[in-house]
Formats: sequence, C-alpha cells, structure tokens
Amino acid sequence: MPQVKIIAKNFMDMVSSLPAIKLDMLYRNQFICEAILRSLPPLAKKYVLQMLYIDAPVTSKSLQEWVLADGSSKHKVAVDRLIQLRVFEVIDRKKETAYKLNLTFQTSLRKHLIYGGTLPREPMPPNVIARLPTSEELDAYALEQWECFLLQLISSGQAERSSSFSSSMMRIFQRGLLRQRDKEAARLTESGFQFLLMDTNAQLWYIIREYITNSEEQGVDQADLIAFLLELSFHTTGEAYNLDTLTDDQAVMIKDLADLGLVKLQKGRKDSWFIPTKLATNLSVSLADTTSRKQGFVVVETNFRMYSYSSSKLHTEILRLFSRVEYQLPNLIVGAMTKESLYNAFENGITADQIVTFLQQNAHPRVAEKVPSVPENVTDQIRLWESDLKRVEMTPSHFYDEFPSRDVFEAASDFARMHSGLLWEDAKKMRMVVKAEIHMLMREHLRGQK
Amino acid sequence: MASAPSKLYADDVSLVVVLLDTNPFFWSSSSLSFSQFLSHVLAFFNAILTLNQLNQVVVIATGYNSCDYIFDSASDLNRSFENGRMPVMSSSLLQKLEEFLIKDEQLSKEEPEGRIKSSLFLGSLSMALCYIQRVFRSGALHPHPRILCLQGSPDGPEQYVAIMNAIFSAQRSEVPIDSCYIGAQNSAFLQQASYITGGVHHKPQNLDGLFQYLMTIFATDLHSRSFIHLPKPVGVDFRASCFCHKNTIDMGYVCSVCLSIFCKHHKKCSTCGSVFGQAQSEAASASDKKRKTPET
Repeated sequence: MPQVKIIAKNFMDMVSSLPAIKLDMLYRNQFICEAILRSLPPLAKKYVLQMLYIDAPVTSKSLQEWVLADGSSKHKVAVDRLIQLRVFEVIDRKKETAYKLNLTFQTSLRKHLIYGGTLPREPMPPNVIARLPTSEELDAYALEQWECFLLQLISSGQAERSSSFSSSMMRIFQRGLLRQRDKEAARLTESGFQFLLMDTNAQLWYIIREYITNSEEQGVDQADLIAFLLELSFHTTGEAYNLDTLTDDQAVMIKDLADLGLVKLQKGRKDSWFIPTKLATNLSVSLADTTSRKQGFVVVETNFRMYSYSSSKLHTEILRLFSRVEYQLPNLIVGAMTKESLYNAFENGITADQIVTFLQQNAHPRVAEKVPSVPENVTDQIRLWESDLKRVEMTPSHFYDEFPSRDVFEAASDFARMHSGLLWEDAKKMRMVVKAEIHMLMREHLRGQK
Repeated sequence: MASAPSKLYADDVSLVVVLLDTNPFFWSSSSLSFSQFLSHVLAFFNAILTLNQLNQVVVIATGYNSCDYIFDSASDLNRSFENGRMPVMSSSLLQKLEEFLIKDEQLSKEEPEGRIKSSLFLGSLSMALCYIQRVFRSGALHPHPRILCLQGSPDGPEQYVAIMNAIFSAQRSEVPIDSCYIGAQNSAFLQQASYITGGVHHKPQNLDGLFQYLMTIFATDLHSRSFIHLPKPVGVDFRASCFCHKNTIDMGYVCSVCLSIFCKHHKKCSTCGSVFGQAQSEAASASDKKRKTPET
C-alpha cells in the first residue's frame, strides 16, 4: 500500500520563500517578527534572543560552543532555518563565517520587547456595537462555518448551504484531495482521507496555504496576505474591529475568511465590523504544538463500540470512514469498529496510526484523563488487523534455472550477492531468485561468462 | 547528593514562577538601583511571553516581613486594550509592587533589632510551591513549571530548616529551582536549592548586563536544557545551620533517628524526642579515672 502522507507544511516555509525585499518589509511589522520567532525551533529562538543586543557579528565557532555535543544536529537545523528565513545574515570573512541578526528584524524585536506592540486597529467602543456574541456563540459559529466548508469540500451532499467560494476556488482546494472519474461521483483520494483525520489546525494551514498560493493569480500580493493573516492572529478573540480600518485587498480577503470561520462579520447601523474567532488567534501557534486543546467527544470501549457525543455531520462522515455507524441519536452517534470496516479504511489508504491518533486526540473528557484514553486491546487489535494486510511482501524478481555448471552458478550467485540482489538460492539444484533491478546486469554477466 | 531526574519534555512551553527580592535593606546598599533592575527584569518577562503563546509568568515579591503575588500573566485582568500582547508593561504590575512595598514597610515597625537583614525567602518559596501544586491538580494539560529566584539579600540561618523542607518537596515534584544571586557574598541556600533540584545557579559578574545573563541562562526552557551549555555548579556550600541556635556550623552532632543537627550535646533530640547516650568525651574521661585507681 503506498504510504501517501499529507504534510501540512508550516506557514513559515511559504514565508521563507518570499524574496528578500519583501521579507524585509514584513519584518518592519513587530507582530510578524513575533509570529516568526514563535515558529522557530526552540534552539533557534534562544539564539535570536541571545543575539538581540549583540551588535557585532558572532563567529559560527562561538555559536557552536553554546550547544552541547548532543545538540549539534539540532544546532545545524536551527541555524539553517534562521538563514533560510533571513533572520541571520551570513558574513563571510576569510577565515570563518560569522552571523549577525537581520537589522530590521532586530530593531523591531527590540522595540517589541521594551515597549510592547500596538495593533494597527483598536477594538470598537461598546456603545457603538449592538451586541457582541459571547465566546460560546463565537466558538459555535466558527465551528459551524468550518464544518460547512469541509463538508462542501468533500462534496458530500450533506452540506446545508454552500459557501461563497467560487467553484474554481473549491476545485483548487479539492485538487489532491478528491479524484473524479467520468460518470462517477467524486471520491476521496488517500490524501483526502488523511486530510479529514488531521487536526483542525493542520487542516486550516493546508487550506490557507492553497489559498495563498492561488492568490497571486488573483492579483493580491502574497506578502500582504501573509502579513494580514499573521496580524489577525494577534487580535483579541471576541472583540469587534471596524471594517473601515482594512485596506481594499484586506476587505476582499475578510469575506473569504468569514466563510472559513476565522472571523464573524456583523453590521450595525452605521458601521460594520469583524470579530476574530479562536481559529484566527490560533494561527500563530506553531504546528509543532500538536496537542489539540479542544473538547473531545469519542468514548471507545473495550468491546470495540464507540460512542460519540456529537451531532455534527462532519463527525459522522469521519467516523463512517473506519467504523460501522449503528445508531444516530440527536446528540449521540453509536458505532462499532469491525474487521470489515477497518479493512475498508486500510484499503482507502488510512493507516492504523492515524485512526488511533484521531481517537486519542478526540477522546471525551471523561476518558481523556485515564491512561490510556483508548483501551489497549482496541489499539492493539487495530494495528494487528493492519499488519494482516501486510503479511505478504512482494518484490519483483527473476528466477534463474538450469545453470550449465557449478562454477557458473557460484560466480553468478557471488555476483548477485555483491550487488545485494540475491533473494534466494538453492545450491543443490542450482537455482536462484534475483531482484528485478539487477536482472539486466546478471544477463550481461552471464553472457560474459560464456 | 543526586540531582533531580530529568524528565523528557516534549515542547518548550514554560511556566516560570519568579521570586523577586524587594528587601529594602539590600536594595539601599546595592550597586544596581532597583529601577534599573526592574527594567531588566520586565524586558526579560516580555521576552519569555514572546517565546511561546502558551508561556506563563507568575511574579511573587519577597519582602522583608511578608510575601505576596504581584503578577500572573494568565489572569484575565490583564487583557487591557492598549497592550493586547504585552501586559507586563501595563501599570498593574508596578502598581501592585508599590502597594506591596508600602504594606511590607508598615509591618516592620514592630521588629526586634539584631536580625540579619535577610528577606523572607522561605515564604515566597512556599507560596510558589503551593501555586505549582495547584497547577498540577488543575488538569491534564499544563506547561512544565520551574521557579526562578532573583535574590540579593544574604541568607537568614533561622530559615534553614523550612527552606530545606521546601527544597526537598520541590525535588519530589520535579520542579527545578533556578537562582540568580545579585548580592555581594554567596548564598548557600540558593546554591543548594539549585543543586538538589537540578536547576541552574549563577552569580552575574557584571550587573549592567543583567538582561543578557537572564536571557542566555534563565530563559532556557526545560526541553532545551539537555543540549545547551549552562553554568555548572563550581562548588556547593553544603554547610548547615544547627537546629537549636540557628548558627551556621561545620561540625556538629546529628540525631541518628531524624537526622537533626545540633551544635552542642543535648540529652534529648528536640525534633523527635529520642534520648541520647553519653557524649564521647565524658565516657573517655570516666575510663581514664578507672585506670588510674588500680595503679596507685
């Protein structure tokens, strides 16, 4: 089974691929510097802060001395990342390389640490706004929007209403996730299944990344878009911000973001405003933090039954991927994990690890405190059933028989062993099986022997 | 004494409980002024909060007579509009600090003279440990706590027993205690605390660059400590104070039951009540006397 993996790459990969001038412009914004700092690996964060007030370049040898021998690989990764994001400037002297912090970045971060940062817009005073939604209402709204979008994405007929994304945009999102054959309804690809089982944050990154790479064609500058999204993540959840404070490009973007559930748009008598939701403010949490801190809803029992306290259609679809949904009550979905349902899931490209991770991350709070949150016999059995399908390993190979003499046979088997292609040999009957990759080489060799 | 076992920390989220020394007797005679010290320290707090969205800083002030919570970055009161992300710069921290200092000064009007001018370190250490216990019991997901002591006042030997108890309970809960000593002499308590719990102790040479010392050494989260060079303990002052007079002693008597330390011979242990036998020197003089008489 091919091991296809969607890696929702970090937002920062996209940032680092921007040209140097644009990066410098981005670094003038204090919040972007903070967001980038937070996305670095821990060692890199330390280096940046340690060098914040050092004006002279630091040689790479002295930088190496800050780390113990154990961490030298992490050190390399950290320094490479810093150079990639152009936070570190490399100064090549004749004898050794030295590093210095990017000047714009350094100034912005220094100001940020001493004075704190102010957002370009302030929340609106409460007398102008009619009524702000409570945080529960806001969370529910965000969840609903996001789920609606996802349901539409996998083009299930269950979506209640379609978002205002144009169909071409949806097709771009669906590229790689869905596959359409003629006359058939669109089916999810393996990547599509894995996408559904990913953490919400990871899914959000994937969609936003596609959105941004597509925005260049729409005429919106990528750097502006990235800057706006990073700034948005520093707004306070639940506070209203006036729409007038946005530039034209940003105003266009805001509507799309509202469809994804990142902000909520509201209109008053005179002004209209947007309210960032938790999805937006979590944008700058780096992908490394995979512990999702949201409420789980699945209880898995030792008899392989699953009880999911949720009424969301998206959850039903996801559970249907690998279990047999038996009853659906207004607030509860009852299902069972059977061999057939799991074999079905494995054939669609989902791995046992993904299923187990999904169950563990979405465990209901009642069972989440128990260790383990999913019973071991269930996780073990899922893995055993997966390995059932992998009992036989196939290697394309060729079978050689009827050697003229023992010497030729010995020479051929040595040759195959040298090229690490010998899979099996029977010395008495002079037969052997050789990997397909070196078949041509074997033929040449045997011809040469004659 | 073995240091605390190192846990495997998954990420670099940290919860730092800072014990800030506000002893007026120390600060009036220190080369670094308190306001300069505060500016270094506030920038350091901002830096910690910048490192990770989930980082948390709690400040407890150690006064001469009392201790109190000054600041908690996770509390909702800190969501002010002007400084959405840098609540440390808001005036609430400085205001509470001022109120605390005024209260502390009022309490000292009734103090007897003749005490070493040490701050109430044991009080703030105990408060920090209680806060951390509360965090442990709050739920499954919490950042890994550590304690950072910014001390300048000398050690008060009368606090020895309580401080050692607090240090051992910190070792038990696997909470490292870092210490940065900015006073003139050395502090045995801080060295022992960091050594036993597996934290870092450092005495900065140049106090003008305090921010750089704090950033380089004490901002390191627990996850990165396994591969960053940190100052190692050069020589730890393990001297104890006696339980009866609270003097620092090098040699003394130890109760074999509860390990309490005394400077003079006592008939009975004051901690556990076990009765001691005769002292070595008295037994030797008795046998001398016995030997003398048969000779004559």
